[in-house]
Amino acid sequence: MDARTLRRLFLDLLGRPPLEGERSEWGGRTRAALVETILPTEEFWQNWIEEQLYFFLLVDNFRPATEGVRALPGLLAQGKLGVREALHRICLSSSFERRNPGPDTFVSVVMEQVLGLTVQKTVRELEIGKRIYDGARGTFLGKPGNSQADLVHIAISDPRALHCFLEREHQRILRRPMPADLAEEWVARLEREELAFADILRGWLVSAEYERRLRSSLPQPNHMFVRALHVDLMGRPPDELETQRFRTALDGLSDATPLRSLLARLILDSGKVRLPERGAIADPAAWIRGQFERLMGRQPEGGELAVFLQAFEDPACRPATVLYAIVSHPEYQTW
Amino acid sequence: MQSLDRRTFLGGSAAGLATALTSSAAALQPKPKRAILVALAGGIRTRETFGSPANVPNLLRIAEQGVVYSRTRASNLGHFGATLSIFTGIAEPRGIRDNTRGTDPTLFEYLRKDLGWAANDVWVSTSGGVQEANVSYSLHPEYGQAFGANTLDGDGIFNAEFKQILEAYGRPRVMEAREGELLDQMRGAIGAAGGAERPDSEALARVERFLLDELRRGTQDLTGLGASDAKAFRVARNLLAVFRPRLLGVVARDADVAHRSFNDYVQVIRRNDAMLGELFDALQADPDLAESTALFILPEFGRDADLNSRRGLDHGDGSDDLRQVSLVCCGPDFRRGATVQEEVRTIDVCNTLCDHLGANPRYARGKRLPRLMT
Repeated sequence: MDARTLRRLFLDLLGRPPLEGERSEWGGRTRAALVETILPTEEFWQNWIEEQLYFFLLVDNFRPATEGVRALPGLLAQGKLGVREALHRICLSSSFERRNPGPDTFVSVVMEQVLGLTVQKTVRELEIGKRIYDGARGTFLGKPGNSQADLVHIAISDPRALHCFLEREHQRILRRPMPADLAEEWVARLEREELAFADILRGWLVSAEYERRLRSSLPQPNHMFVRALHVDLMGRPPDELETQRFRTALDGLSDATPLRSLLARLILDSGKVRLPERGAIADPAAWIRGQFERLMGRQPEGGELAVFLQAFEDPACRPATVLYAIVSHPEYQTW
Repeated sequence: MQSLDRRTFLGGSAAGLATALTSSAAALQPKPKRAILVALAGGIRTRETFGSPANVPNLLRIAEQGVVYSRTRASNLGHFGATLSIFTGIAEPRGIRDNTRGTDPTLFEYLRKDLGWAANDVWVSTSGGVQEANVSYSLHPEYGQAFGANTLDGDGIFNAEFKQILEAYGRPRVMEAREGELLDQMRGAIGAAGGAERPDSEALARVERFLLDELRRGTQDLTGLGASDAKAFRVARNLLAVFRPRLLGVVARDADVAHRSFNDYVQVIRRNDAMLGELFDALQADPDLAESTALFILPEFGRDADLNSRRGLDHGDGSDDLRQVSLVCCGPDFRRGATVQEEVRTIDVCNTLCDHLGANPRYARGKRLPRLMT
């Protein structure tokens, strides 16, 4: 694996770039080996849960804090639970109900987000669902129920929920819709084998399709940027609270560029970043090349290196200025 | 508008005439029109506003100086889609928790593209968190991010916890001019061979400064029920003073607390009204803004006719209380103290605003509001 593949794979699977030790451990080794190593880890499943919570907008005040949800990454990593049951537990959490108050909102969100339905085209089911939400008996999506828990259970058990979930994950990992023929096969497999998702995902990650995805770039979502910035500048991922607070602030701007840039500058100027003294950099070209490879996953082009070297010759340019130029650039903020 | 009068024209000397012509030409320049659009996205019935005057003294004060459309129909009754439809002029259904941008251009995009406005001319202050940032621009191929609004969620940024974190890192050091130049050179060089976009350092620095200053102003100290909306109004007021935007949107949504408590819902309405009054007063206190700014205020939809089992108000019964809201428009060119009974739609706001400010909302499906102008 080259530096870019390694960086993007880490960002896809763990939501952060590799740490220094991981870069030296995995550079030059195969993608398949890395996937094999990461998929069974609790860190991978923790990141997967974060993605699901974000999809349901169960963040900040609505983040589920119950032991049932907090235990999910461990159970998923140990193979004691499948993704369908994990989603079921998330939707049964009191946070989900608080986030989606009232029958109309609750049932609409279950139909839209769990099943991928357009409620405006399924008004009858919506009305039945709303009555079931309020405790009346009814038949929702062909199955009987009389409570909020029944509604969630019926929706999660429906094969459309698996299709909707896999479509979302395929789009997230491979950045394109599932091919129709394979979609049917994957849904059927996950219906039969509760724990098959890791295997399906493994197939996606070692495929030629993923090679194509590695060549595409999208702007990083804010939570990924926060984690990447901490790892790249401070050598550690942020804790849950730091991630949440930085991410919430960044999400507050449609164009978070100014705040991203401000956060990068705050961290660089905080004295908490291990930076070499200017005088200790004996070979500026090698140092700049190293920063490009580490932060962008590529070597600088000739023109880029020339401008950076010329700037670095000026005493006003500090090592922190070089890093700030890179991490505040849109290219750094893609993956 | 001032014109060159007959006496000045006939009686003046050549020099006087030249002076008069010059100064009159400046006076003849039309003032740039501005607008503020307040979308009460939590869902508020007219019963708790115009039907309960004690709740909204400031809204009534504004309404007396403008036009009230008392039968404004909302077609879209899901939160995210309903708000978006006000900005796009198209009532396409959207998922309540959709966290993606729409495909229909927003009024910000029409205005910025047609009128060549800069990014800092158009701001939206919201309280809706991550979803609301999606109202800033669409994925429409002819418009999109390049013509979007700056959207800022006050509650996400200006809170005590975030301020604490920033304080733990300390303030960034002031960058010397030379270092700034070198930074620009390096940033500009990255990807330059491939035609990568160069970040606008000056615009970046201006917004950075605003964020840092705002954290000092104490917006984060607004707490309690309805604090998110209160911050959205406070940030809007401060944006008005700092950037003097041509269009400023405010999206408030705390009234949705109504699902679980009618009393809390009324408290939010009252607090929002007080903050609206603060915004309006700031506008009136600045003669230039007062003479050039139109204000549009409307809920995205109403709420159910009857209380639910939790003594709250949902939004799903299809009643007139839910579907019909009151829209208030107040501005220097508008009629004063008028009420229009004719049915209009929430999506008409997009067309009316674009028309008022001089843009063409090509894809919007609303109409210009009737009987608005003097």
